[in-house]
Amino acid sequence: MQTLVNNYMFVGAVIMFGIGFMILLLHNNLIKKIIGMNIMDTSVFLLFVSLGYIKGKEAPIIVGGEISKMGYVNPLPTGLMLTGIVVAVSVTAFMLALTIKLNDMYGTIELDEIQKMRGR
Amino acid sequence: MMKSSIVRHITSLLLPFVQIFGIYIMLFGHLSPGGGFAGGSILGASLILFRFIYGSEATDAKFKATYMMRLALVSLMMYGLIKGYVFVSAFLGWHSVIGTGTPGTLLSGGFIMPLNVLVGLVVAITFYFIAVLFEEGDFNNANTRQ
Amino acid sequence: MKALLASILTLTFIGFLLLAIVEMPAVGSDSSIMHNVVMDKYIEDAMTDTGAINIVSAIILDYRAFDTFVEASVIFTALICIMIVLKRSGSHDEK
Repeated sequence: MQTLVNNYMFVGAVIMFGIGFMILLLHNNLIKKIIGMNIMDTSVFLLFVSLGYIKGKEAPIIVGGEISKMGYVNPLPTGLMLTGIVVAVSVTAFMLALTIKLNDMYGTIELDEIQKMRGR
Repeated sequence: MMKSSIVRHITSLLLPFVQIFGIYIMLFGHLSPGGGFAGGSILGASLILFRFIYGSEATDAKFKATYMMRLALVSLMMYGLIKGYVFVSAFLGWHSVIGTGTPGTLLSGGFIMPLNVLVGLVVAITFYFIAVLFEEGDFNNANTRQ
Repeated sequence: MKALLASILTLTFIGFLLLAIVEMPAVGSDSSIMHNVVMDKYIEDAMTDTGAINIVSAIILDYRAFDTFVEASVIFTALICIMIVLKRSGSHDEK
């Protein structure tokens, strides 16, 4: 139990993942499902970026022409998550385009009405 | 196209500062936090705001769709060629064209600043085109032959 | 009924993930296994190799610039896919 209080950032990221997952399961509207998926993506980025934090060190920008004596935070996870953020934006844009096409074809964006129209 | 004159006047005063801020974040990517993606997002948002306030005819006359698509393609290909040259020249031991320079000034860091600008151009044009595609189904003058 | 089933499933899922978090070192500890020789090499050699002050920019645009190249092409491919999906058929070509 004490370790769960010490790792507060990771517990917060996992709870946010669970909240996004519940939004994805419980709502019928397609736009709300897209919002839930976005929340799940953001929680994974929070988990990875907070893995690189070291207490008492400063941001990885060399000020004053020499490497600081206090040391720097690990710069690798932030650099590699930049690619992931951009991929999440692209996937969200594509999901919204598919929602526009569904609205054109069926006239509604509630998922149970679309399933009733297709006869299931 | 917004008919309210308060919004049009304030936007025409505010847009140059937004674009200069975006270009500053893009160009100073090797000296302070930022880089190509953040600066490109800000530039793309300023283009979407311009389209939202002034209507689609004025924006299509100013930023033609085929020209911007070709600009994005050329930027992506130039990024690949420049990175290929840097990789091969370091592997074979050639002397690089642009040196490292003194750290801390604007013209330092070798090829990092041109790469930032190219990535920012691709991201800005893509964000603007996605907003145009969501509003209308197709580009207006993409079907005319040139 | 549906809400009850969904909450039981989510709570089981979160429980498994929290079981994995108990094994991890504390946030901000200095002795984690992630801070190793690779990070030291990047921090020490970033300014003399590339000439950039921002270490994260030096990583994503000089040491690993191919990742950024593939990711810029992912953005471009997403734009092309959206253009294909949202195309209306048979409207403009009447010559």
